[in-house]
This record gives sequence, structure tokens and C-alpha cells, in this order.
Amino acid sequence: MRRRSRHEADQAEINITPMLDIVFIMLIFFIVTTSFVKEVAIDVSRPSNQPQKTERLSEVIAIHILDTGEIMLQQRIIDIRAVRASIETALAAKPNANIVVIANRKADAGLLVRVIDQARIAGADKVSLAAEAI
Amino acid sequence: MARKHATIDEETEINVTPMLDVVFIMLIFFIVTTSFVRETGIDVRRPDAQTATSQDRGNILIAISDAGEIWMHKKKIELVDVRGMVESAVKETPESSAIIVADTASQSGVLIDLMDQVRLGGVARISIAARAK
Repeated sequence: MRRRSRHEADQAEINITPMLDIVFIMLIFFIVTTSFVKEVAIDVSRPSNQPQKTERLSEVIAIHILDTGEIMLQQRIIDIRAVRASIETALAAKPNANIVVIANRKADAGLLVRVIDQARIAGADKVSLAAEAI
Repeated sequence: MARKHATIDEETEINVTPMLDVVFIMLIFFIVTTSFVRETGIDVRRPDAQTATSQDRGNILIAISDAGEIWMHKKKIELVDVRGMVESAVKETPESSAIIVADTASQSGVLIDLMDQVRLGGVARISIAARAK
């Protein structure tokens, strides 16, 4: 009698082997496809071409990048290493000013990123990017 | 004799329940952490930046090679196609943000045009990839 009841219990057990197979295949799929590579990047804002509000020039610190790779701030050509100090000085004079990097279309993107980086180190939390009008 | 054999079999059966728990937890972990970032397909020299931060939600990757070619989803594409591709990516995941991987030697004009196209495609959060110093 006891033996028979145990036999019934054996039959009522659910076979989990196919589910296990599926779970393992899913696990292997997700392990293989997961990439933990996170891009490291800097945030920039690109003002849209539609005029939203005309900003007065006095509220803007404009940094020009010329096609020759020179950087111009307030009508002076400065070295890349001087950008940070110059922006700090300009920000001290106008604390609420927005910083706009106006790049010539032929200038290197690497230089552009370095200038934006220097501006961010100088304390500008929002740096905008603009293209020089052709 | 036969009965004794059966008892030995039952005793030697391995208990798979803890292993199943672990496997399920791993499965859930990998499902949650997987983000199907589609690579751009080219290797570019990223510019150095000290203020670069890790981007958690950047799932649209667009690369610009040093020659000014635009690469997305392992294909070379034209500037006019960028908008449509960004729009379809936004349709899949509405909370997308874009990362432009521009080569150090690429022209900034291409970069700015590309940023405009991505904005027109409906992504407001755009960042430029860099290499943290």
C-alpha cells in the first residue's frame, strides 16, 4: 500500500528538464549579448536654428575656433592652454553668461571638444555649440 | 533486491533547486542589464576630455570618421538618412539619447550638421564621445 502511494507521487512530479534547457539557453544568450561598455562623453547643447529668443551679446561669452585651428576669445587669439584661464576671467566678469563655442566648419572636431572641455573645467555648466555662418 | 536498488537511486539524486535559484537570478540580472546598443562599425580616435562623464542611456551611436563619413549600425550612411534612422530608433525606445563619436581629425562642420539632423529626428539629448583622461 505504501509502496503504491509513493509510486503515484513519483508520477505527479513535474518534469522540469525542458524548462531548465530553455532557461539555460536564455541565460547563455543574455550573457553573450550583454555588453557592459559605457560610452564616455561630454554633454553639449546645440541651439536650434529657429530663433527662440535673441540673446544679447553682452550675456554671451563667445569662443571662436578659426579654420587654422586658432582659438579667438574677445578678439584675441589665445593658446589652447590659456582657454581655461581666459574663460574663468570672463566668467568672473559676467557670472550668468552663457558660453558659446562658434566653430569654423573646417576646424577639427578634436579641438572643438578640447575647447568645450576647457570651458567646462573653467566652471561653465552649459556650453553651447554653433557653426560659423558660411 | 530490485527495491533496494531503487532506494539507492533516490538517495543519490542531486537536488537542483539551489542551482535553479542561482540560474534564475543570473537570468533576470542579464535580462535587466542588457541594452541592445548597436555599434557604429568603425573605430575612431576619440578626443581627450577631462570632464567626460559616463553616459547611461546613450543608445543611439553615430560615428564620424576622419574622412567625414558617417557610420551608424555598421553601415556607412549619408547625412540625409540620419534623420529617418534616428526617428525609427526613437520609435523603438522613446527615452533615447544620442552619442556622436567624432574622430579627432574630423571636421566640426560635419559634427554640427549631424547634431542638427539628430535634433530634427527628435532626440534632444546629444553628447559627444570622448576619452576620459
